[in-house]
Amino acid sequence: MQSQSIYKVPQGKLLKISIEYDEKDNVIRDIRITGDFFAYPEEAIELMETKLKNTVIEREQLQQKIRSIITEYHIKFIGVDSEGLAQAILMCKP
Amino acid sequence: MKEQWRLLQTGFNTAFSNMAVDRAILVENSEGKVPPTVRFYGWIPPAISIGYFQSVAEEIDVNACEKLGIDYVRRMTGGGAVFHDKELTYSIVIPEAHPAIPKNILKSYGRICNALLQGLAQLGINGTYAPINDILVDGKKISGNAQTRKANTVLQHGTILLDVDVDTMFSLLKVPNEKIKDKLIQDVKQRVTSIQHILGTKVGFEEVAEALKLGFEEEFDVELIQGILTKEEKTLATQFEKECFSTTHWNHRR
Repeated sequence: MQSQSIYKVPQGKLLKISIEYDEKDNVIRDIRITGDFFAYPEEAIELMETKLKNTVIEREQLQQKIRSIITEYHIKFIGVDSEGLAQAILMCKP
Repeated sequence: MKEQWRLLQTGFNTAFSNMAVDRAILVENSEGKVPPTVRFYGWIPPAISIGYFQSVAEEIDVNACEKLGIDYVRRMTGGGAVFHDKELTYSIVIPEAHPAIPKNILKSYGRICNALLQGLAQLGINGTYAPINDILVDGKKISGNAQTRKANTVLQHGTILLDVDVDTMFSLLKVPNEKIKDKLIQDVKQRVTSIQHILGTKVGFEEVAEALKLGFEEEFDVELIQGILTKEEKTLATQFEKECFSTTHWNHRR
């Protein structure tokens, strides 16, 4: 199943998410994160997209996974945070 | 004696060349081969730049660009899509460890934007920095800015609008919801301003560049010395233009 969302992070930037997910297992198969935010280093976004594959689309699990990737790879986001990113992904589901 | 930085006035070039030159300066500065550098430049033909994380397909009407002879390029910095037409673009490249640059990224946006504010003040324009990356005059946006940090070096570039044509801009950019496009255009017209609009008279590129030069000198207490790109920077810029910024691989990568 493919789906998209557009989410304006409160006090932040616009996130656009495209995902392909497994309806039965409720996990992300593929994800693309675009938008007018900032991330340092920039290449970390591709890493984030790869690491989010196979994550269950559920708020707590998404936030935890995103936070652990941010910590492990020393990513600095500006205009978006783990809550905002998780919210945008959740909004892809009907 | 004041610290001396380099000032580059590289004139008007293509989007691909402009982005390649900024990257070349970053590389050479990171290797200690050139001093901190402030650069002023413009765009011929007019062009759209999109942020590193944006998608060409989502942001740009490629057919409209082709029809109107507008180039488009992906920046190495984040942030949003910008239509570069009647504006002055600046870039600053400086080591991350330089005392003038706050370690905190958001604070460093503020510091560099202060230089722009001092420059605008030279023209009699009173602006304010609006985090994350805008400068406002009377609550309307006159400048957008974007920063990357690579190889322990800061590159921030941004625009100062000399004049603005919102209708043309929106004929080139896609909007998430076509049904509200007209309203969006009206909203943006309310939220964007330009030097010409504020002062009620046309101010030339050179005059604005001179004002911004003074702004950078005052904010950072340095002397900007007019220079030129080194041979190595030119070689690198040609390489980056050819292998990166003019390629489909780079521009359509997201």
